[in-house]
Amino acid sequence: MREMTIGKYYSVDSVIHRLDPRVKLVVTFIYVISLLFMRNIYMYAAAFAVLLVYVNISKVKWSYIIKGTKGIMAFLVFTVILQMFTVKGADIIFKWRFISITRTGIYSALFLLIRLILIITGSSMMTYTTTPTALTDGLERLLSWMKKLGIPVHEIAMIMSIALRFIPVLTGELDRIMKAQTARGVDFNEGNIIKRVKKLLPIIVPLFVSAIRRSNDLALAMDARCYHGEEGRTKMKPLQYDRNDYIVYILLVVYLVVLIILKRLLHLGILSGI
Amino acid sequence: MGFIEIKNLVFEYFRRDDEGNVEEMVEAISDISFDVEQGDFIAIVGKNGSGKSTLAKQINALLTPSEGTVIVDGIDTKDEELRLAVRKTAGMVFQNPDNQIIGSLVEEDVAFGPENLGFSKEKIWNQVDNALDCTEMEEYRAVNPNNLSGGQKQRVAIAGVLAMEPKCIIFDEATAMLDPVSRKHILNTAVMLNKEKGITIIWITHHMDEVIAADKVMVMKQGKLMLQGTPKQIFDKEDVIYDCGLMPPNLYQYINFLLEQKMIDREEAESIESDEQLVDLLCTKYSDEISYSKTSSGKTSVNKNPGRQYQHLEYNPAEGILLDNVNYIYNKGFAGETYALKNIDLHIGKGEFIAVIGSTGSGKSTLMQHLNGLLMPETGSVYYNGKDISDKDFPLKELRQKVGLVFQYPEYQLFAESVEQDVAFGPLNMNISRVEANQRAYSAIEAVGLSDTIYDVPPLSLSGGQKRRVAIAGVLAMGPEYLVLDEPTSGLDPVSAKDLLDMLKKLQHEQGITIVMVSHSMEEVAEYADRIVVMDNGEIVVDGEAAYVYSLNTLIDSPCYDVPLGVKILHGLKAAGIDIDICKHRKKDVFAELCSR
Repeated sequence: MREMTIGKYYSVDSVIHRLDPRVKLVVTFIYVISLLFMRNIYMYAAAFAVLLVYVNISKVKWSYIIKGTKGIMAFLVFTVILQMFTVKGADIIFKWRFISITRTGIYSALFLLIRLILIITGSSMMTYTTTPTALTDGLERLLSWMKKLGIPVHEIAMIMSIALRFIPVLTGELDRIMKAQTARGVDFNEGNIIKRVKKLLPIIVPLFVSAIRRSNDLALAMDARCYHGEEGRTKMKPLQYDRNDYIVYILLVVYLVVLIILKRLLHLGILSGI
Repeated sequence: MGFIEIKNLVFEYFRRDDEGNVEEMVEAISDISFDVEQGDFIAIVGKNGSGKSTLAKQINALLTPSEGTVIVDGIDTKDEELRLAVRKTAGMVFQNPDNQIIGSLVEEDVAFGPENLGFSKEKIWNQVDNALDCTEMEEYRAVNPNNLSGGQKQRVAIAGVLAMEPKCIIFDEATAMLDPVSRKHILNTAVMLNKEKGITIIWITHHMDEVIAADKVMVMKQGKLMLQGTPKQIFDKEDVIYDCGLMPPNLYQYINFLLEQKMIDREEAESIESDEQLVDLLCTKYSDEISYSKTSSGKTSVNKNPGRQYQHLEYNPAEGILLDNVNYIYNKGFAGETYALKNIDLHIGKGEFIAVIGSTGSGKSTLMQHLNGLLMPETGSVYYNGKDISDKDFPLKELRQKVGLVFQYPEYQLFAESVEQDVAFGPLNMNISRVEANQRAYSAIEAVGLSDTIYDVPPLSLSGGQKRRVAIAGVLAMGPEYLVLDEPTSGLDPVSAKDLLDMLKKLQHEQGITIVMVSHSMEEVAEYADRIVVMDNGEIVVDGEAAYVYSLNTLIDSPCYDVPLGVKILHGLKAAGIDIDICKHRKKDVFAELCSR
């Protein structure tokens, strides 16, 4: 569990790391949405090229990214295979009883695979290059208009960043508790489903007790450091758009325009689509 | 007018039952008055539950008086409008390093306080830079606090308080969860802040050896102030200290013994401030006849790595636990690949009391988990009674019953509704009948020194020391032949810690259970261990009987280990050319050796 790196901040100094978190949030959001509208290989190629450049500038190592996706590989493969068998078309290339594979099926499975990989890598690039604090900070600013609707945006952002900070602490705790109970003779891989659920009790109870104890401690520590909500609070790193941030926004528009052109060209039959 | 004025302070709270009805009123602090001057270093000592932390929280208005007044820098803490001003003046460092860090980068966490105070951006950066510089954490400013050691996290916490420009810092058992080296580091940081910046320090602890440097010490028991005075005045009153559940620092145990034996006089006793001074004094005393040269006891070259020293010990490979050339690698195949264990050869025989010593990250906890198959070696083998535990048909469940493992802070794993159920949990997992499991639970509860009135009590409502005993009973109830414990005394006050170690010794003597105990501290195990294994960077560097290990010069000179004072004295005397047996390590043996000369 603790070795999972997906979404874990990758500490290195790069242009991307220094971008305003709001820019990264907007870019990631639009990038993922754009992937959902892609219909041909040229558009995917454009999206892929953008990601390649983005990763290279960010100085995040490919090995780190690949390691991060390992955990969800099984899920990816399963989805893709399912897609391959379920999409029906006329061009059957393999048939055995009720199972059939079609050319359309293979293409749509392939596109799905590319799309999923781009979505996962693209969105995790955001968390690799932005600290949880900056991320929640950016989200808080982007959504600040919701305060007028009476939504406690600052508080929600604070809760989110604390949750993110404590995930590794609690997974470590979970690991320890599981080991301790294993040492007391619990075998988590034994018995039927009811027995297995029952075995979770000696893990969940201590984990909850620990989480409550920690949150009590943290609340005291925050009080002691004069936390009193948003009012009168300043920032060490106030969000301020920089020249690079505007450039990235312009590049985002360029990217969208390229996609639209590609789609138009295909539509007009100038490019042959697959 | 003092900087902090506490007058007739009483603090009460109501303990409620499940329905919210008041069960009883607890008086956590009863009628305490004292003043603190700006720039003082005040220590408040007391065992767990004596009210010392409650008192500390009064000083920065985390709690407010039920009766009486607390005035900090001219502000009454009851004034809600000015509460933030009080907390800015008196910052606080808490006990648990993990539970007081808010930011996801060190510098962002340090900035949290200044941000709350509404400092300008430039001022925040300035404060953060200064605070990190002061606590020597500059190089870690862009690191995720989760990747830091406990001692480093505490330094971040100190920086976080410093950045708020406090006039006073309260350390609420800030060293209780740290190893001896980090503990000293944090204490030194506090002393430095006091001396160089004139910051008032309130140091809360149950370790008396940390208060030697204080201007004034206050001893608490059951919410009352029992003693106050300079450290020396306090240490003289040994009986009151023991009565409060505390122990005088080792240094003063020796000084008081030497005074009783008339081996040193009052004046000499007054002049001693540190371990080294005592060793020097004794050297001059003993070598009156022989010409004594001062240089001999002066620090020799500081050798960080004690080098390998193994004592040849005979053993029967068909019995006990045998680790044969065991290697274990974390993050194998990835960037962070590290050897947690390197070429470990170790035999653990029946009936031994072994202490495994090492600093954080030395691999001792990884080693421990190999003993009952929770972790399997990457290469090499572990044998139990001559059988390889990685064999497919090896009964791992049986091994886990025979080799009981008690993790650090085992009380965090308690979960059942009653002590009886929790302790019987292990036996029940071994498919034993409920009647027999309960029988075993009862005898285990007795063996850890708890009474039968505790059976139906919910474990979470017990005191810290009792919870730990219940957790150990939970492992004992499985009927282990080997009991492996990871830092069993951490966080306990000195008397509870001593009681616990006495209990382990008793288990070894009366039930023949092998005890393997992991510890940070050589000092702690000096009275108990028969054999000592020292680990460093995943390797065993020293292994031998206690008498052999404590006689090693290289180890004693190393700053990495908390060498018992008695051993330091004997080595010092030996180095000064006095004929003395340096194999002694238990306090009473050292005393006897000193008297015999």
